[in-house]
Amino acid sequence: MKQKSLIALVIILVVGGVFLKESVYVLNPGQQAVVTQFGKPIGKPKTEAGLGFKTPFVQKVRYVDKRILNWDGIPKQVTTKDKKFIKVDTTARWRVTNALTFLQTVQGERGAQFKIGAILDSATKNVISRHNLVEAVRNSNLIENKIKEKKKEISEKRAKGETFIEDELSGEVERIDVGREQLSLLIAKDASTGLLKFGIELIDVQLKRISYDKSVEKKVYERMISERKKIAEKIRSIGQGEKAKIEGRLTKDLQKIESEAYRKAQEIRGVAEAKSIAIYAKSLKSGSDFYEFMRSMEAYKNTFSNKSKFLLSSESKFLKFLKNGSLTE
Amino acid sequence: MNSYNNQPNFEADLAKFFNEFKNNFKFIGTGLIILFLLVLGSTSFYTVEPEEEAVIIRLGKYEGTYPPGLHFKIPLGVDRVIKVKTKKIHQISFGFVPQTSGRRLRFRSDAFDDESLMLTGDLNVADVEWVVQFQISDPFKFLFQTASPEKNIKDVSESIMRRVIGDRLVTEVLTTGRVEIAAEVQELMQDLLNKYDMGVQIFTVQLQNVNPPEIVKASFNEVNEAKQEQEKVINQAEEAYNKVIPEARGKAEKQISEAEGFAEATVNRAKGDAKKFTSVLLEYKRAPAVTRKRMYLETMEEVLSKLDDLTIIDSKVKGVLPIFQKTNESIILNKDKS
Repeated sequence: MKQKSLIALVIILVVGGVFLKESVYVLNPGQQAVVTQFGKPIGKPKTEAGLGFKTPFVQKVRYVDKRILNWDGIPKQVTTKDKKFIKVDTTARWRVTNALTFLQTVQGERGAQFKIGAILDSATKNVISRHNLVEAVRNSNLIENKIKEKKKEISEKRAKGETFIEDELSGEVERIDVGREQLSLLIAKDASTGLLKFGIELIDVQLKRISYDKSVEKKVYERMISERKKIAEKIRSIGQGEKAKIEGRLTKDLQKIESEAYRKAQEIRGVAEAKSIAIYAKSLKSGSDFYEFMRSMEAYKNTFSNKSKFLLSSESKFLKFLKNGSLTE
Repeated sequence: MNSYNNQPNFEADLAKFFNEFKNNFKFIGTGLIILFLLVLGSTSFYTVEPEEEAVIIRLGKYEGTYPPGLHFKIPLGVDRVIKVKTKKIHQISFGFVPQTSGRRLRFRSDAFDDESLMLTGDLNVADVEWVVQFQISDPFKFLFQTASPEKNIKDVSESIMRRVIGDRLVTEVLTTGRVEIAAEVQELMQDLLNKYDMGVQIFTVQLQNVNPPEIVKASFNEVNEAKQEQEKVINQAEEAYNKVIPEARGKAEKQISEAEGFAEATVNRAKGDAKKFTSVLLEYKRAPAVTRKRMYLETMEEVLSKLDDLTIIDSKVKGVLPIFQKTNESIILNKDKS
């Protein structure tokens, strides 16, 4: 008898366990569930984590992710409004807001990714092709201010006449009206209404990569190279220009210094000579005859040397005693 | 044992078997219970390592987050323990694979170009490599708010980096803008991740290598060389200037000083001469005739005594030398004598 009760106990336990397992389910955080009865959804989808109850065997639980999910597209070729061929790579984050609709329309995550891909790709193409390339590259007109600042700085330096190493500025930068962030918002707005039908909420779309198409890329690189070369040449020629300026300054300063020194020296000499003339004149005026005589005597002394050939007339006053020699007066 | 030769007595055998089974069952049963209790005991505790925190999910409900140490839990699958490394700084690198420890070798391939090549605001291309370091600030949110947090961080980082780079000039990206770019990316990334409320704190964003694309590198280097060259040429010119001008200034000063010296000398000489003359004149005036004669004679004496070749010509002698045949009155005194 004992064995029978034991067997009965085991059976009850097993059956009870199975019933319990069939009537209770665990909903983890990050999960939501739809309870179905023979395929027919019962009640609202359950989104609160914890234990749930259902009619055993009759009802089934279908779990759906409640977390933020990722969608990562593959780069798509798009032509922008200004006819540039680019590749756009977008990513998006989404979540299931209506598990029932989600299950009914796309069945599962794979189906959802597929739908999101289709809708987002077309939204991306629509939005990008309606705008110029720069709108997708840049986010603001910040760059314009920077260029302006830089140009101002350069012109200020130039005005001061400073020698400076000029940095390069390449080309003009177009103004943008929309910008990268706004474009991704536009894409998200475009796509989100379509996705609502699937019980999906689009949280955001991000433009991940925007790159030139391979054929365009080559040309861009060529342009970059030629631009750099141009800049290098400019820098070199500025250097040569600065050099010439300095050389010019050198000549100018040198001439100025030398001629000024000459002028000053001459002035000083002139003043001194004038002074000396005045001094001489003042003192000589009182005895000009005597001065003439005395200065002549001095000059004789200084002009003749032993090598001079000298012819002296016998009529000379100096020889008057030599010729008509007479000791008496 | 006797069951082998007593086959028909099946029922007796069965009863005996049950009897033995019952005895054994008691033994096995206690064993099983002890084992069960042991397992129960050992699964009721868990340790949390120093770098971790543990999230407890009780029957699907979030129960709490626990710090490092030994903790109790309800066994039999009621409490689920998920340990998350919250103290660890996680790193994601973009555009390159970080070098493994000890090896200097850095792996690079075209496969990363897609990640690292990006358009700048002036529509040039820059090759940017960077790392993002983050910490898990809220383990529960990190686990259950997003399906693949790391993928989210990666996507967000890529799109934000491109947005920030896209707002700058290529030269800025390559040279001065690095720190500013990293700071801006970090801020914008954090904003976006906060919007997802996924329990992640960005620790730092750092730009690694920032280069022009391989193909155009040479031309960027050329620009740098040109800058060097420019500087060199300017310096050389300045050098030449500095070599000449100070010397010229010195020379000019010398010239002026010399002139000043000359001026001083001239004036002094004039003053001296004048003084001398006045003094002499004063005495001369007392006896002009005799002084004049004396001075004349003294001078003549001095002058004529120096001469090696002195010829005295009488006015009556004619044509001493062809060059002297100008006048008829010239007479050589010597001839007249002889």
